[in-house]
Amino acid sequence: MKDRISALMDGELGQGEVDAQLKALREGGEALETWRRYHLISDSMRDSAVLSSGFSARFAERLAKEPTILAPASIPQRAQKKRMWIPVSAMAAGLAAVAFVGSMSSQFFNADVQQVAQVKTAERAQPAALTVVPMPGAVNDYLLAHQNYSPRSTLQGVAPYVRTVSDSSRAR
Amino acid sequence: MRALAFFLLLLPGFAFPQAQQQPAQDAAAWLRKIYNASLKLSYSGTFVYRQGDRSESSRITRIVDANVDTEKLEALDGVRREIVRNGDEVRCYLPDIKTVKVDRRSRHPTFPALVPAQNSSLTDQYVVSKDETARIAGYDCQAISLKPKDEFRYGYKLWADVATGMLLKARIVNERGEAVEEFTFTQLIIGGNIDREMVKSSFAVQSKQWKVENAGVVRADLARSGWTVNPGIPGFQKVIEIQRQLRQAHRVSQVVYSDGLAAVSVFIEPIESGQEVRQGLSSMGAVNIYTRELARHVVTVVGEAPVKTVQQIGDLVEYHRP
Repeated sequence: MKDRISALMDGELGQGEVDAQLKALREGGEALETWRRYHLISDSMRDSAVLSSGFSARFAERLAKEPTILAPASIPQRAQKKRMWIPVSAMAAGLAAVAFVGSMSSQFFNADVQQVAQVKTAERAQPAALTVVPMPGAVNDYLLAHQNYSPRSTLQGVAPYVRTVSDSSRAR
Repeated sequence: MRALAFFLLLLPGFAFPQAQQQPAQDAAAWLRKIYNASLKLSYSGTFVYRQGDRSESSRITRIVDANVDTEKLEALDGVRREIVRNGDEVRCYLPDIKTVKVDRRSRHPTFPALVPAQNSSLTDQYVVSKDETARIAGYDCQAISLKPKDEFRYGYKLWADVATGMLLKARIVNERGEAVEEFTFTQLIIGGNIDREMVKSSFAVQSKQWKVENAGVVRADLARSGWTVNPGIPGFQKVIEIQRQLRQAHRVSQVVYSDGLAAVSVFIEPIESGQEVRQGLSSMGAVNIYTRELARHVVTVVGEAPVKTVQQIGDLVEYHRP
């Protein structure tokens, strides 16, 4: 059970398993205790700021009052091994994890409130959770088109054009 | 980079020489020197591009004289590709798929002309300082760092040849001071007689049989078709707004913003029938790409800027039916 919770925290479980683990967490008991302990360990390892007491309860209360904007974010798949490129930056992975935990908390604390916000008159971005996705298919075209107008290209000549993906399956 | 020079003119240390501003002024003078070198130096060398666990060598040659400003980049690792810039025309040769992609680099004068002067200068966004000296590829170099004043941009560290101002090494660092990308020359010859053949594509002849994809860039006005793009980030000014071909089939709008160093492009294109849009974020070195769907269009934000920046710019795109 503990390794399941650890995997859940790391975003490594499939959708079915996530649901099962969240259900276990909602029931409290040892699962919830493990969840809390693991987060405490991870916080202390990362020197995370200590939150004021009762934060979770206040957070849950405020969250319950807000409509859920998005359907739950898709679970980030285990990073696909893509030959030599897309080493997804640690920061992106970190943010994805935050977004993931965020969406999980809302399911956890707020399981009964699932409202979808009304579409506004202007179509605008929804604050989407950051899902890490593979490079768009035309990534090299975007990179080349972008490079033409970057001040770096004048600074370094054509050197920044090397920033194209060198995987042949992508070089279209 | 003309834009950078333009900003440099606005550096406080440059405009108001004062004793206490000596270090910043000195650093600014170095940036001007790097910029001037980028305009006039001919060179030939090999550099390594490092990003994550990827590391690639490329050969680069540039010839500048009264008649011509030409350069060529040849990737030595991975899939074969060559980029040749002749004046403003950029040709990308891809022998594996027998394709030449032809594009135009922004004409130099457009940088200063399109970037409004009054509310932007590099020092509003970065703290510029002179760092240590170091030896790179046999050249004695001076390091200059540009530390961002907010979390919307990366930091830069540049190493330039003390004698000529030629940029030998450039590093982009994230908010934790970790390098996300680095260009370093491992071998370089500045000036001298460089053979013209060195800046010609080795595929010049055979590529006549290849497919040619021309970007066909034209000026555009996205607002007229209902789109609002606004970076909402201090110092990011619009550089250009165009329509272009992408992958030949597509007509794509592109808007570019820059703070003088970092640049972010926003691409907007209609979703093709059956096209699957993977919304989210992908990263490659300093470049972050944020994709989302809006009003049956794909919005793709590409920039050498932190995740937060590309996401915000993408999320602020709006569509109102005109």
